[in-house]
Amino acid sequence: MKYDCLIIGGGLSGLTCGIKCAREGLRCAIISSGMSALHFSSGSIDLLGYHPDGTVVYQPFEHLGHFINEHPEHPYAKCGIDTVRDAFGFVRGELQQEDLDLFCNGEDNHFHITAMGTMKPTYLSQRSVFNESLKGAFKKRARIAVLNFSGFRDFYPDIVVANLRKNSLFSVFEIVSGTIDLPLFRRTNRNPHEFRSIDIARIFDSEKYLPRIAVEIEKLSGDALFVAMPAFIGITNYNRIHRRLEELTGTLIYEIPTLPPSILGMRIDNALKSRFAALGGVFINGDKIIGGEILNNRIEQLHTTNYYDTGFTADYYVLSTGSFFSGGLLSEYNQIREPIFNLQVYSERDREQWRSSNFISGESHPFLEFGVNTDDRLRPATLQGEMIENLFCTGALLSHYNPVKEGSGGGVALSTGYYAARQIIERKAGQ
Amino acid sequence: MIQLENISFDHCIKCTICTVYCPVARVTHLFPGPKQSGPDAERLRKKTPELVDESLKYCTNCKRCEISCPSDVKIADIIQDAKWKYLKKRFRIRDYFLSRTDLLGTVATSTSWFVNFFTRLFLVKFFLDKLLKIPSGRRFPQYERGTFRRWFRKNADDQGSFDEQVVYFHGCFVNYNDHQLGRDLLTVLNTMNIGVLLANEKCCGVPLIANAYLEKARRNGRHNIRSLEQASEHGRIPIVATSTSCTYALKYEYQNLLALDNSRIVNNIEYIMKYLYSQFERGNIPEMKPVGMRVAYHAPCHLERMGGVIYTIEVLKRIPGLDLVLLYSECCGIAGTYGFKSESYEISQKIGQDLFRKIERADPEVVITDCETCKLQIEMNTPYSVLHPVNVLTMAVKEGK
Repeated sequence: MKYDCLIIGGGLSGLTCGIKCAREGLRCAIISSGMSALHFSSGSIDLLGYHPDGTVVYQPFEHLGHFINEHPEHPYAKCGIDTVRDAFGFVRGELQQEDLDLFCNGEDNHFHITAMGTMKPTYLSQRSVFNESLKGAFKKRARIAVLNFSGFRDFYPDIVVANLRKNSLFSVFEIVSGTIDLPLFRRTNRNPHEFRSIDIARIFDSEKYLPRIAVEIEKLSGDALFVAMPAFIGITNYNRIHRRLEELTGTLIYEIPTLPPSILGMRIDNALKSRFAALGGVFINGDKIIGGEILNNRIEQLHTTNYYDTGFTADYYVLSTGSFFSGGLLSEYNQIREPIFNLQVYSERDREQWRSSNFISGESHPFLEFGVNTDDRLRPATLQGEMIENLFCTGALLSHYNPVKEGSGGGVALSTGYYAARQIIERKAGQ
Repeated sequence: MIQLENISFDHCIKCTICTVYCPVARVTHLFPGPKQSGPDAERLRKKTPELVDESLKYCTNCKRCEISCPSDVKIADIIQDAKWKYLKKRFRIRDYFLSRTDLLGTVATSTSWFVNFFTRLFLVKFFLDKLLKIPSGRRFPQYERGTFRRWFRKNADDQGSFDEQVVYFHGCFVNYNDHQLGRDLLTVLNTMNIGVLLANEKCCGVPLIANAYLEKARRNGRHNIRSLEQASEHGRIPIVATSTSCTYALKYEYQNLLALDNSRIVNNIEYIMKYLYSQFERGNIPEMKPVGMRVAYHAPCHLERMGGVIYTIEVLKRIPGLDLVLLYSECCGIAGTYGFKSESYEISQKIGQDLFRKIERADPEVVITDCETCKLQIEMNTPYSVLHPVNVLTMAVKEGK
């Protein structure tokens, strides 16, 4: 099977790259095995959230120039500020075409509430997570309500409320918690607390229950200025459902990202895949790349688990297989390895240096910065030190950045994906 | 060969993504979802087999959980294995016959006019429902007169004269219910100068696995591996199948679930569309005339699991005049014998609703799918007739002659 561009890995980075390439008319395929990290994400896209000392970055783009100077090996430094800016604009525009509108606070970061009731800086959020009306809300003295849905076991409103009360930003508010209880949806006695986010999202997706849910919300929240709920307000029909719920209750309703499966992340995943398909891209889901042939510094063809013989071939390849969790990097007893092409990886030799002594620590863990080494154009090298000319590496696979400590995971994923696509398009045009 | 147990349940990180993509959990709360029935419960079952949960039986083994799993857990395999190991085995006449597609086929094809007439009678359906718990709403597959093999013996003695050959694993459906598909395959392959050989085959074992007759499935498996190895002259001649589930069983279920050693045939077996695609790539493309037809394509679960959907689509795209609509559909719900049981019939119908709606919206002339039971399900629930991609290819090739 021959393509202009073949992408290994269908997460945020791979899909961004695929959509950009397909949009420019390239024949493009993505091979993906297992659902991507978007299903585990907050559904907001971070650009740069924290300074190295842990304090919040308020104007990420303004700070980015300085940041790049300080971190010359960082993926953002390779992309350059303009590419990062273009990439954010591009993804936002593409998602808009799928009716998924991402709120952007001008040049500033905004905060979203976590399932623990803490605040996280981020750059783009779905409108049900943050928008202009919420920005204005913080000036008034009012009541807010944090509600759960009976039977949902991945959210504890009291924890959220307790942590929000500690936050000076919320000191003007009276915060209450409650649980929406609709007997209609109680499961059999056998499995009393079996609801996961997706089950409830499907209940919300059907408009027939909305009036009753709205009555419950009003009862529990009283005259609250706004109501926060776990993110389960619909999985396909979410725009309309969110709007209708606000109309029916007369309050502002916000979603808090939950534990996986993340509905907010899945909305982005669905929208990007649908965009890719609409542009003629081919998404292959049930197979896995296990290796490839490299000849004269070029990848000649790829092998998959199911079809060893008929290699997939392409002019350009993109590796966006993610980090340890997604299998893009393997942690073995005495080495960190990239399993498909055995690429050069940045890591510490001594296993003792891979992690901090505390599991949860402000210092973060060194292994988060491990990953594939690339040149300025995101091209990797083999263990023997040979550059591979037609392969680009993007996303969580890359080294020299720390998505957790910097609050930069989403931004690096889409910026590097976009940067790789741009280079492929240029080279194809030059051929 | 030493077979390690499936311990992939230990790789489960409890993310619940599989449950999101489970067509059964979507429509019923009776099934707690693949994560809970598979890796979660497996830990408990290993220690205390009494903890086994009857809800296991609602799993259709569609494998969509395995496609979605980010941690490569063989979820559906764990569940099928547990069905067989831990569920109380009750002899049920219905399950016995439903899983013996070859026995049923042999009898039915010799008295096909009677069987086809008989199974359409309301009273018969009523009693089958009441006595055997086979839902009266389900339409039975129609049986052919005689078997495909018999037709093949009479009509295809010239297959050795072609430049190349393939061994064709026709499966029960072609042998007993759909000779046309087998005949069409001959037309297409012969036009491409490829002859067709048959091996001595038994049911691949898919319905046996689904009904927890694992020992019997293993016996069939051993037989098939032996005879396919022989017929393929130890890997010299490629083996193809027109049934996606048969292909899946021969390639993967034998190894992963039945713990059989199929290493001598596994790399030699292809689902037919993948084989045809490779031939096309090599330049062996039959002459085709435009077919001028609007079709909607539904990808069956087991083909998705094999990552093979793309090959069907690529071949279909090469048929001139074919207006192809991709349905981006999920499971049709029938899941082999699953839709033939009263306790799961309603679930099966509910699962399919989304697909039926998508077909109606696409409003094609015919629906195309690779799987024989998807065909039964779609033909029963929509007004459209359903063709195998090989049937459509034959139309183009015949026009070309």
